[in-house]
Amino acid sequence: MPRFRMMDVDLTSGTSTITDVTDRFETWLGGTGVATSLLAETDPALDPLAPEAPIIFAIGPFNAVYPVCTKTVAMFKSPLTGNLGESHAGGRLAMAMFGAGIHVLRITGRAPAFSYLTINDDRAVVKQANSLRGTSALAAERIMRDREDTTHKKSIVRIGPAGERLSPIAEVTVDSSRHFGRMGLGAVMGAKNLKGFVISGGSYWPIENLAAYTPFYKKLYDTVVKSTAMQKYHDLGTAMNVVPLSRINGLPTRNFSQGFFEGAADISGEKFAEKHLSQQIACAHCQVGCIHMASLRELFDPEHYQYKSFKVSYDHELVYALGSNLSIQSTEEVLRLLIIIEKQGWDAISIGVTLAWAVDSFQKGIIGQKETDNLILNFGDGAMYEKVLNRIIAGHNEFYRDLERGSDFCARKYGGLDRSIAFGKVEAAGYMTGTYAFLGYATGVRHSHLDAAGYSIDQKGLTKPKSDEEQTKELYQEAVWRHVLNSLVICLFARNVYTKEIILEGLNALNLTGWTEERLMTMARRAHALKFRYKMACGFRFEEIGLPEKLTRVMTSAGVVSKERYRTQMDAFKALVEADIRDLT
Amino acid sequence: MAKLLRVVNREQCIGCYSCMYACSRTWAKAITVEKAALRIRNYAGVEGAFSIRPCVGCDEPDCAAACPTGALTRRKFGGVQFKAETCNHCGACVQACASKALQWDVEKRIPLVCHHCGVCTQFCPRDVIAMVEIPREA
Repeated sequence: MPRFRMMDVDLTSGTSTITDVTDRFETWLGGTGVATSLLAETDPALDPLAPEAPIIFAIGPFNAVYPVCTKTVAMFKSPLTGNLGESHAGGRLAMAMFGAGIHVLRITGRAPAFSYLTINDDRAVVKQANSLRGTSALAAERIMRDREDTTHKKSIVRIGPAGERLSPIAEVTVDSSRHFGRMGLGAVMGAKNLKGFVISGGSYWPIENLAAYTPFYKKLYDTVVKSTAMQKYHDLGTAMNVVPLSRINGLPTRNFSQGFFEGAADISGEKFAEKHLSQQIACAHCQVGCIHMASLRELFDPEHYQYKSFKVSYDHELVYALGSNLSIQSTEEVLRLLIIIEKQGWDAISIGVTLAWAVDSFQKGIIGQKETDNLILNFGDGAMYEKVLNRIIAGHNEFYRDLERGSDFCARKYGGLDRSIAFGKVEAAGYMTGTYAFLGYATGVRHSHLDAAGYSIDQKGLTKPKSDEEQTKELYQEAVWRHVLNSLVICLFARNVYTKEIILEGLNALNLTGWTEERLMTMARRAHALKFRYKMACGFRFEEIGLPEKLTRVMTSAGVVSKERYRTQMDAFKALVEADIRDLT
Repeated sequence: MAKLLRVVNREQCIGCYSCMYACSRTWAKAITVEKAALRIRNYAGVEGAFSIRPCVGCDEPDCAAACPTGALTRRKFGGVQFKAETCNHCGACVQACASKALQWDVEKRIPLVCHHCGVCTQFCPRDVIAMVEIPREA
């Protein structure tokens, strides 16, 4: 039977230890389950940026083992929300952690000098690296890859300058264009004086049950590659949603003023593909290749025909956050903003929504030219957005420095809270399909559209109406079920490939026996409840997660969202969670 | 005429490493990329640029020529064969392969010789690699 190990790195002393955590994996399966159990053991009063606050990276028993099980869970206390922080990223990290022979990497402490960390098999070394201070997330990757010429395949994880400035909307970049985007992990790393880490190793699992593993693997491979199950993610990618969502009034436009974007066709998945798609690439051990790389060629010296080219990835969330929601209808302008954001290492959704709040508030007179230092904020003005981003980077004045603290912080300080489109302080993702999209953001453990896909419930409800009671139950059940997927840690794009039956077959093929559907679901419900218990211990209250006032006045795919209905269903969801919390003890 | 492993559409590679997993799975019965007899390399800061390094089955293999013990010898129709019991684990073979195609098993300290079986091509989702008939002397 496979064993699972955890590496603890203390950056303060530069030491590391390895512990066998197989028992913990037997209880919590892996990934988000295991990481939750570890975070829940910490003091909820910890300052998220304190040296003692841990960053927990966790993978599960399917990572590096089966196709499209490519994600790593990061868990931490969020400097954005002040409670549970969780973000998932692909790339090569899960493969490299598996190669290093560790399923959990827990980092605590604060390096005495600006540093990065290397992990080769069991050996962890903290390396002083003052020359990396202020380097972009992209430059840091080039430098670390060059310097750490490892024998085995590696993963490179790092922050940009935004993380170094402790921006609570700073992300962490993994390999080529993958990110722990949400909830401010970048600031937590920055507070630890940790620019990044490089991880690799030669550990592997021998295939113990060849007769079960090989045909099962082939079946999965064929489903992923030869069926239509995952085709859309490879073809146009999630950017295929842009036009269909706009058609049903579900694409957030000009800070969620409306769900129809008149320029949707100009920034559609099709348009990006025709004009910019240079290739699709993949996370390690994913045959889909959903990462859409755009090329942008720019003439910088017309007289001498001098061109430069950039490559940057795009998907639906980025096109919404830097396109429709800012009223940008040029693919080139979306990409130019993305390149700045990618280098700085901000969460693209959070910075985009914060920019949208700023323009909206400027136009309502909540902020003025005094704050913007004479910059006039207009929706649709790409050059202006670039200026704003560059002023944030330069720390131009207090207002610009505040912008990288997120829309909720800015709205509480300057006003315009009614138009700060954040739930639990986390800026909303790119769906305004109705009540359940918003309830999904509000009730999600990480306030993400990925927690339970409420937008999907709204869209199904358009043709097949159901009662609120049924739909809220569905939202809760999906949130719980995804704790199984996120414990294994399967890319959610493959959620229809990995059914309960397939998951149980996969565990058996690895000789991880004893798991049943009931045991999986019990673990999932407990992990979900444990997260909420931790959140509440940090001060989270369902009652305080309101619906931004503006969203009660806009037309979504499913009509106008009523505040009363939202509150009633929040209460219903809360009751389900509270029952689970009672069962924990 | 024998079929040998060839890169036929390098630019279509998505970097999934599925080929390396297939090779390790088949020949080493191991879940890893590190036991594969070919390597997908990526480059610093060049997002999405992959270089595929399979054994090309040389007519006059440099790896075999560099082997001081005769553990690696030329195989009929291209490629090399490996006798583990003769290997002195010096690694000269890997150093001799100019295209860095011959891989090294760090654990066992032996070269990972490509058998040109083609299993990697069966797990390439983008037709990057293929088995191609190549004229080689017996």
